[in-house]
Amino acid sequence: MAITEEPQIFLRYESKQALAALEGELGNKLKIDAFETDQAAIAALKERSVLPHALFILTSQPSSQTNSPLLTHARDTHPDLLKILISDAVPLDVLVSLLEKRLIDRCFEQPLDPDLVRSHVLTSALARKSNEYVMPEVKPKAASEVPTVLIVDDEPTATKYLARQLERMQNDFRVLCADSAEQALKLIQSISGTLAVIMTDQRMPGMQGKELLDELKQSHPATVRILTSAYGEVNVALDAVNEGGIFRYQKKPWRATELLPLFQEAIARHLTLASARENTLSQLEHQFNGLRDKRRELLLSNLSEPVDTAAGAPVMSRFLQALDTIPCLFANTSHLRASLETSLENDLIQQFDEQVHRQLKRLQVAASMHTEIDGAAIRAALQRSEEPEYEHGSNAPASSILLMLCEALTTLLTASGLSWRSLNLNQTSEHSLILSCEAPLKLYAHLLAPLTRLSRPFLDQQVALLLLFVSTYRLGGELQIRGATQSYNLVLALPLANSPEA
Amino acid sequence: MSQSNRKLRLYVTIGQRLFRDSLLFQLLLHSDIDLVGESESGIDTLNRLESAKPGVLIIEENLLDNDGLTIAENALSMHPTLSILLISDTPVSASRLGIYLEAGIKAVVSKHQPIQDLVKTLFCIRNGQVYVGAWNKPDTPSQGLVNAYHALSGREREVAQMIASRTPIKEIAAQLGVSCKTVHSYKDRIFIKLGFERLPELILFMKRHHNGAAA
Repeated sequence: MAITEEPQIFLRYESKQALAALEGELGNKLKIDAFETDQAAIAALKERSVLPHALFILTSQPSSQTNSPLLTHARDTHPDLLKILISDAVPLDVLVSLLEKRLIDRCFEQPLDPDLVRSHVLTSALARKSNEYVMPEVKPKAASEVPTVLIVDDEPTATKYLARQLERMQNDFRVLCADSAEQALKLIQSISGTLAVIMTDQRMPGMQGKELLDELKQSHPATVRILTSAYGEVNVALDAVNEGGIFRYQKKPWRATELLPLFQEAIARHLTLASARENTLSQLEHQFNGLRDKRRELLLSNLSEPVDTAAGAPVMSRFLQALDTIPCLFANTSHLRASLETSLENDLIQQFDEQVHRQLKRLQVAASMHTEIDGAAIRAALQRSEEPEYEHGSNAPASSILLMLCEALTTLLTASGLSWRSLNLNQTSEHSLILSCEAPLKLYAHLLAPLTRLSRPFLDQQVALLLLFVSTYRLGGELQIRGATQSYNLVLALPLANSPEA
Repeated sequence: MSQSNRKLRLYVTIGQRLFRDSLLFQLLLHSDIDLVGESESGIDTLNRLESAKPGVLIIEENLLDNDGLTIAENALSMHPTLSILLISDTPVSASRLGIYLEAGIKAVVSKHQPIQDLVKTLFCIRNGQVYVGAWNKPDTPSQGLVNAYHALSGREREVAQMIASRTPIKEIAAQLGVSCKTVHSYKDRIFIKLGFERLPELILFMKRHHNGAAA
């Protein structure tokens, strides 16, 4: 598993001295195989059945790498392999040309921060590992609509003219302009569909180009990013490569004839990224559905009998149906990894099971007590269950089923930042009391949702919701859950008589 | 890192007040940190994120109302550009760290790590960069510091001891028979060599070193 192992690095070096210095810094964090020639490294790449996590090029002459056989081989044969250039100083021209040929993915100047380099290697190893789960078939889809290219620069006359020129030259994409990063962000939100390519100037009043690209990298990962500048700021360019993951660094002045092929290449890249993402998402959803079915099956077979008996109604399936109406976050690779590589699935079933059984036992004891149900009793029980010294879900015996019901309600209300004060208590007829909540209650994750870890508040909430079902039906009442995105509305009807005795 | 002159807009979600205060006192010593909000619960965090617009969220894994990681995932689904630093109760294993990073968390710092680790990590992730600290370093993370201390010159160590016992600079100068300016330059060198920025860091280190406790 990529990250649990020590990351494996292939390193091509020129001087033994530089190699020793770098190994001193990184050696205890990364496993390094060093090669003195391109040929030896290429041979090793061909030989090994398992690809290293990254290829480092340690050089004092970065310009010599623009036609490196090793980097070319790596680019053409192993597109997933992270290629990192490490050098004392990297001239901007060299960086631009290495990027243009897609020969490197990251570039660090000495002295480097070993933890930072390791972070990059691990992040890339993770991404590769995720691909193994879903194996996206990368077939660029045909664009359903004309792709959009956005050009951001604080000189509107220049961009308008360029945009018009570009639009006249082709019909494959449309060109929009913004004269600040802030305006660009607004524009991106307003257009339908995703933005294919953005090219932004670095120096602008307000937010800088690099910051804009950092932000888009997070919010619009499939948008291809190009940074442009009239100033030769190597530091900005390096940061943009390493942190912003830019596709290209384009020097000013722009020429429409140069930009046209660049944008066409960038759009092709965007289509590949977008379809790979879509594929991944649908495959993840498919895989998670299998896990969800298994969980449901286990929960039903383990708990239906004791839960339904305690409630006197088929409550377990109603509880799971209620959860089905509450959509949570979409499954992603972290959920899948947690489910497949850790004991999460087992622990979930086992710990939920244990807690439910403990509560059912308490319910059994409480059932022997007499419960008077009226508005005052409910208010008193709710207040009591909110007191700080009152211990929830403990093994301490509860004095009535009503109190256990209120306990469950309080747990759910607290998780939503609410208290019993937001509950409405209505007596609709002589025979029943309706308890409803003004605001929707929150449920950010549940038993049938993708999970990354088990936590006490999570389990407490799930048990509380099930227990609310059990105690309501046990008291002869009815519980309605209307689900919405990560939340639900709750209406609880209780008969206004003495509770049926066990 | 970046030349960005923008302040780091920070939001902190930590349940226990004492812990939150202690952390904030340390973080606010850095002039480019702008605290835009704090919460003790996850639900409050999600409600207030929209208006606070933080760039970085520091959130505890174990909150009382909801799971900190679940809250973090939800915060990310609403604000994908948010950089999140998760504080865990115990050091996380490599495989768990992998899960957290894939969930979009930028870094994990455990409650067993020194404050300097947290500060360093915080500044590394501000632009959305993932940062994996030294989770599999040997058990004595302060060994480097102790070595650095022993590498100080005899005079420097002497001055460090006197500063740590809060002897005024003037007095140190008088006792050593040198000028105040010289003592100040000793002090600067000590701070640089040990990687400290503030007096309490030096005092704490000297006390711990002296008391024989592991820092």
